[in-house]
This record gives sequence, structure tokens and C-alpha cells, in this order.
Amino acid sequence: MERGKSRGRLFGGFRSVRSSMICSFAGLIMFALLIFLVVSLNYTQDTVLDNSVDYTSQLIGQVNEDIDSYISYMENISMIVSINSDVNNFLFAEDAPEGAGEEGLRLPSGSGSVDDVGRQRLAEQVAVMFRTLMDTRQDITNIGIFLGNERYVLNRGWERVNPYVDVTQLSWYQEALQAEGGAVISTSHVQNVVYDSYDWVVTLSRRIRGLDKSDPDSVFFVDLNYNSINSLCEKLHLGDKGYVFILDKQGGLIYHPRQQLLYSGLKTERISEVMACREESFLTEDQYLYTISRSDYTGWTVVGVAYVPELLEHADEAKNIYVLMAGILLLVALFLAAILSDQITRPIKTLEGSMKEVERGDFAHAIIRETQDNEIGRLSGSFNRMTEQIQNLMEETRKVQQAKRESELKVLQSQINPHFLYNTLDSIIWMAEWGKNKEVVVMTSSLAKLLRQSISNDQELVQISQEVAYTESYLTIQKMRYRDKLEYEILVKKEIRELAVIKLILQPLVENAIYHGIKYKKGKGLIRILGYREAGCIYLKVQDDGVGMDAETMSHIYEKHVQDTRSNGVGLRNVQERIALYYGPEYGLSYESVPGVGTTATIRLPDRGEEQRNI
Amino acid sequence: MKGYRRMAGLGLLLVLALAIGIGVYRGKRHRESRTLDIILIQKAIDETNDFWSSIHEGAKMAAREYGVNLTVWGPGSEREVEEAHALIEEAIAQKPDAIALAPISYEETLAYARRIEEAGIPLIVVDSVMAEPVGRCVVATDNVEGGYKMGTYMRQFVDENTVIGIVGHVQGSSTAREREQGFRQGLGEDQEKIVDVVFCESSFALAREVTRKMLEEHPEINMIAGLNEYSSVGAAEAVRDLGLEDRIHMVGFDSSKQEIQLLEAGIFDAIVIQRAFNMGYLSIEKAVWAARGEELPEYEDAGTVLITKENIYTEENQKLLFPF
Repeated sequence: MERGKSRGRLFGGFRSVRSSMICSFAGLIMFALLIFLVVSLNYTQDTVLDNSVDYTSQLIGQVNEDIDSYISYMENISMIVSINSDVNNFLFAEDAPEGAGEEGLRLPSGSGSVDDVGRQRLAEQVAVMFRTLMDTRQDITNIGIFLGNERYVLNRGWERVNPYVDVTQLSWYQEALQAEGGAVISTSHVQNVVYDSYDWVVTLSRRIRGLDKSDPDSVFFVDLNYNSINSLCEKLHLGDKGYVFILDKQGGLIYHPRQQLLYSGLKTERISEVMACREESFLTEDQYLYTISRSDYTGWTVVGVAYVPELLEHADEAKNIYVLMAGILLLVALFLAAILSDQITRPIKTLEGSMKEVERGDFAHAIIRETQDNEIGRLSGSFNRMTEQIQNLMEETRKVQQAKRESELKVLQSQINPHFLYNTLDSIIWMAEWGKNKEVVVMTSSLAKLLRQSISNDQELVQISQEVAYTESYLTIQKMRYRDKLEYEILVKKEIRELAVIKLILQPLVENAIYHGIKYKKGKGLIRILGYREAGCIYLKVQDDGVGMDAETMSHIYEKHVQDTRSNGVGLRNVQERIALYYGPEYGLSYESVPGVGTTATIRLPDRGEEQRNI
Repeated sequence: MKGYRRMAGLGLLLVLALAIGIGVYRGKRHRESRTLDIILIQKAIDETNDFWSSIHEGAKMAAREYGVNLTVWGPGSEREVEEAHALIEEAIAQKPDAIALAPISYEETLAYARRIEEAGIPLIVVDSVMAEPVGRCVVATDNVEGGYKMGTYMRQFVDENTVIGIVGHVQGSSTAREREQGFRQGLGEDQEKIVDVVFCESSFALAREVTRKMLEEHPEINMIAGLNEYSSVGAAEAVRDLGLEDRIHMVGFDSSKQEIQLLEAGIFDAIVIQRAFNMGYLSIEKAVWAARGEELPEYEDAGTVLITKENIYTEENQKLLFPF
């Protein structure tokens, strides 16, 4: 029941405290690391997004600034040109009457008159100025002044106006007029005003006013090479899928890398979302990050688009490092957990081992060192004291038991069965009555020997010869009682006769042989007592040729006759126990018997040679 | 000791799991990010040719968008058939993930296109088809549709005195045939007024020549349609040189600076242009789809646009007409 219960508990499935500890540690560590990982990964992702918004903002802000500086430069040019006196004179000076003279160029005030040659010269001077401007700035594609379709100066002076174009119908021309002197910036478009050239440009145009309010409509324009905006945007790298696009004030496309795809409907762009957005950036559901920068100067919106998974690729590196770190930390922590739990559980293991020793009954190795002053140390101490106590108690019990046994044995030894005594005396009386004096003497002296030996029981050990003599006295008495039934032989080797053995071990065997072997035999029985040494042992044997025993009787042999009235009182069991007690369990009594043939009882004793003799 | 060994085993297992995890993760990413190799073989790579330059630009845009490694090959001019076929063989040897091919010859390129398919490389046919259907997808201009746009626009100038001549580019070529067919359909029953069809072998000089001859033979002609850039420009120049631009209505096909100038000058009433950029873009897009084993349409129309003097400079059209 206990077992089943504990299995249900967390980590209860482990067979050792150490494994449970390691697993608990590992669980805790993994839990902590996991939380750390999740938090730091999310944090990284957020940071990367924030950073890329900042980074993109800076980049496209830079694009906007560059565009602003282009435009403001062009505006400055337009200012310079519009107040230039040559320009004004070329545009607005009235035609001088024919032959006004060579001094036509010298004008008294802003307005005057000029002849064709003079105007030609003015045009040349304006063209020189334009030429200088175009040579210093490669990003100016076209520059020019127009007075309707009437007269113009274009670029370096030698370019012609596209003959199929009505300048006054062009949008930048019309818008400049409407702007009343302010600068107008067009969207990106193809400039077709110059013959044989169709360049992509952004046009800045401005109306030029003469000093006289009534001066006719006139417009200055300068074209910014679209490529300079193009390359500004193209050189920005916002990942493989990222790009930059520019919208004008109305949300018209000024630059978009996929302009053609947008117009043909293959792609769409979130222009209205961008125009509506008041934030710095927004994230679309398909993971594109739009970052927006508006220029107050041009009114244009530069938009940087980045693909978030690409941005997070860098974050992935950080993630990998985090995961790797977590893995290493986990391993180190597990290693430490193993060492720590090992240290904590080692005393417990020692205790467990020592308990097993105690369980086996070995108290000698059970005492353990108290290494730590903590619960386990105190537990070890208690265990030690308990072990000692148990050991003392057991020792005491053993001694008491032994003393008790010994005293019992002594009591048994000292007794001569009263029945035996009575029977013997009865026999003596009978013999005396019959006048058999000689037999009476033999029997009485034999009884006297028996009695004397059983009285002198202060010594536990006797010489084998004494033991044999005692047995012979007994046999003599029994032989006289069972006159025609019993014969005996004693064949004990001389060299063992003086060795010491515990007393009263031979006589009970003889008694047993008589009562169970000879007594039931028809005719005479022979009891033979043998004694010899062999292979480091002393053997004493009692052979009879009586009825023998079957296996059943043999198995009960030690239990019988303890209280047998006719026996001398010292049972076989007693003999066996005393031999085992004195010499060790490997020595003792054994029986061989064949029913109808006879029985042999063998006592096996250690042969300790001379040492045994002295006792 | 036994405990330590088990611990070491556990540690090893963890390390292994970690390594496998990272490996799988890396492997997955590697598979996802493997860039496809795609080869586009154009009929010509010619900086001065707006049509092929636009296709090139469109293809590059698609390559960037889909993150593929694009290689564009082509002979110096559309007449170098041998060179184009050698390039196809070289492309097959490179074992790209897909090939987009603009066949230089209706008959002869077919065998090479077959070889691409035999090599197990997905083939996308670009711009024009071959004698027999081949390839996973054809990305081209619907020429019948383009011709139809010419016809329906020009019909407004048709009256009972109208006599029409056509200047084609290459007799028997699929584009010439289809555009003429579309033009006739656009004119409807007025196609009866077509009296002559001549061909210029895609040469400006020859176009001028055949136009002049046609006008000598049929001086009553007052409407001419050109079927590609060479025939359109050549015919228009011949008309201008003869001083007949006020009497003859003209319509052209394809776009070039010269054609635009002739349109601005009013010699052309209209021109029909192809969306070359889209064609380049779509052909690479379809090649990517084919390489990924996705479903493809059999035919993808890149589209045509009719341009008149009035709508040259609209936002959409100027991008088509003047790719920078």
C-alpha cells in the first residue's frame, strides 16, 4: 500500500533520492531557463523592430534631406535667374525700332528696348550662365526660360524646343503661372520640351515677373535628373525584399521600384494607408514594416518598407546564441546538481549500507563516521548508538541463553534415570537372592562407577578413555540384564584414548542402540564401539546389528527419548546440541541405517592433537 | 560509479538532442532560403532595344522580389540564331532550376526547347511560341488582342474612300500573322479595304523600300498599319519622306524613341505597345512557380496598351514608353 501511494507522487518513480533530486533540480533549472529564454527572445524581437524603425527612419530621413537640398538648390537657382537683369532684359525688353544703334544693350533702366542682335547677345549671355550651372551640377538635366512660345533660352543655348510641343500647355508651365511667383515642384515625369530628348526629371518652375506688372507670362524651369533621386533610393538597402518609395503631396508616385507593376495592376501599394498614417511607422499583417518620413519643404513622403522576417534574421543569430547559452548553462547546472545531490545523499547511502549490514547481523562494520553536523549527521549518531545498544542487548541475550542451556545440560548430565537405577538394583537383588555373588559384585561395582562419574560433573571435559570406561560400565550392567541378548566390542585406537572430549556423548548412543536396535532383534545382538582419527577429525562410532531404522524413524531420531523413562535421560538431541555448541555447527552426530541390517551412529569431532590432550 | 555513468549518459543525450535540434532548425532554414537558379535567354541583349531592355528590367525586378539568382543571356541581335541555340545548350549544362526562353526561331528552336524539357528543367516560353506547343507556360503578348486594338482605333478614320496597306515584319512569323489577324478583326467588315500586305524582314531600310513600292503600286492607299517597330518606323519614314503624312493615317506597333517622335509629329495616329517590363517580370515569376512545382496557367498575357498623342505623358504610359 505504501509503495503504491509513493509511486503517485512527483518523482516518486525514482528508486533513489539522488535521482529524484537531480530530476527536481533539472526541472527547476529548465523551467527557469525557459522563462529566461522566452522573455529574452521576445525582448530581442521587440528591440530589433524598434531599432529597425529607428534605423529606417534615419535612412529615409536622410533621403528626404538630400531631396530637400536638391530642391532648395534648384529654388535658389530659380531665384538667381529670375532677378538676373540679362534674363529680364532678354524676356521683357521691348523690341527696339530698326537701327536704334549699337548701344541698344545699354539700357537706362530695367525696361528698355533692344534690337534683335542685342536680344541675341542677351540670349547668349543667359545661355552662358545656364551652361555654367549645368557644368557645375551634373544633376541638372535641363534649364530654361520661356516667354510663351515666343522666345526662349534652353540649356546650353543650342538645344531646340520640341517642335511638336506647345510649351504653354505643359503642366509645369501652367502651374508656375498659377503660383504667382512661387516655386512649383512637379512630380516625376518625362520632360519632352527639348527636341530629341525624353529624360525622366523632376521639374521646378517659377514665374518670372518683370518690373512692369503688365509684363507678359514668362516661366523659368529647371529639371532635376530623376536618376539622382532614383539612386538615392536604390542605394538604400533595406534587405532583399525591402525598398523605398516616394509620394508627392497628393499621393502620386514620384518614385517606386515597381512603378510599372503597380500601373499594370500586378502589384498594389498601400498608398492611401501611408497618406492616412500619422505615425512614424506601421506594420502590415503580411509582416511588412512601413516607415514614413514627410518633408515640410517639398511636401513629399519618403517611405521605407522592410520585410520583418528579414530584419529578424539578425535577431535569429542572437536567438541561437541564447539557445546555445541556455544549453550550456543547463549542462553545467545538471553537472553541479549531480555533484551536489551526490554530496548530500552520500551520508544517506552510507547509512543505508550500514543498515544492511545490521540487517545481516554484522555489527562489527555497522558503525559509521559522523561527518556532518546536520540532520543526517545526527541521524548517523543516533543510528550508531542504537546499533551499539542492540549489539549489547543481543550479546547479553546470547550469554543468558548459553548460561541457561549449560545449566540445563548440567542438570541433565547429573541425573541417572531413577528407572534405570531401580531396574539395576532390582537385578542385583535377584542375583543376590540366587546367590550369584560374583555377578552381584560386577554389577554393583559397575553401577558404582556410573554413579561416581555422574557425580563428578564439575569438569565438562573428560578423556576419551574415561568416556569409554563409563560407557563400558553401562554396557556391563545392560549385558548382565539382557544376558543372552547383548554382546559388545570396544575398538578404540590407542592414540586417541587420551584426547579430551565433552562427556556423556557416547553412552546415549549405546542406550539408543540397545533400545531401538538390539531389543527388538531375535537372538543375540552385537554393539561395537569404534574410535579413530581420520583426515583431521576424530570419529567415534556405535554400530549395532539390530533391526535398523527406516527413513521415517531416522528423521525423528533427535526428538525421541528426551523424557524416555527407561533411558539414562541424556537424549540424542542433547548430545548433538552440546557438540555443536562446544565444537561448532560443522561437528556433531550422524546416522546411517539399513532396516534389518543395523545402524551406525557416528560422532564427528575436531582433532586438535596435543592441545586437546591437556585439558 | 553507476550513478555517474547514468548522469554522463543523460548529459550526452541532452547535448545530442540540442545538436539535433539546432541541426534540424538550421537545415530547415537552409532549405527555405536556398536560392533558385533561373536562366533567361532573350532573343537579343541590346542596350538600344527598348523592348528587350524592358524585359531584362522586369526579369531583374522579379528576381529581386522572389530572391532568385537570375542569369540573362542572349545573342547580340535577333538574327544570330546559331549563337542563341548554343546559349540554350550551355544553359542546359548549367542545370538551373528553370529556364525562361524567348525562342529566336519558330521552327529551329523547337528541338532545343525539347532538349531543355528532356533534361528535366522546367521551361517557360517567353514572347513568342514555336511550331509545336512546348514548355510549362507561355508568357507573351496577346498579339491578336494588340492587332485588334489597332483595328478598332483606326476604324474611326475609315470612310468609303479608305484604302488600307499593311507593312508586316517577317512573313509567316506567328506575331505578324496574329497581329494582322487581330487588325482585320478590329476593322470588322472594313478589312475588305486592305489591298496589300508587304514584309520588311525586320529591317528599317527594307521597310522604307517596300512601303515606297507599295505606295507606287497603290497610290490610292490612305491608311497604313505597321506590325512591329521596324515595319512601323520604316513605313512612317517613307510616308514622311514622300510628304504624304497629311493624307495617310498610320498606326504602328511597339515602342521606340523614333516611334514616339513620329507619334508626337502626328505621322502616327496611334501606336500599340507591349508591356515588355511585365513580360520579363511574369516570365521569371512563372519560372519560380515552375521550379517550386506550383500550378501554372498555360498562357499568361503580358498585355498591350494603345497610345495616342494625347496620352503619351500620362503617369502610367510615360513609364511604359520611357523606361529609364
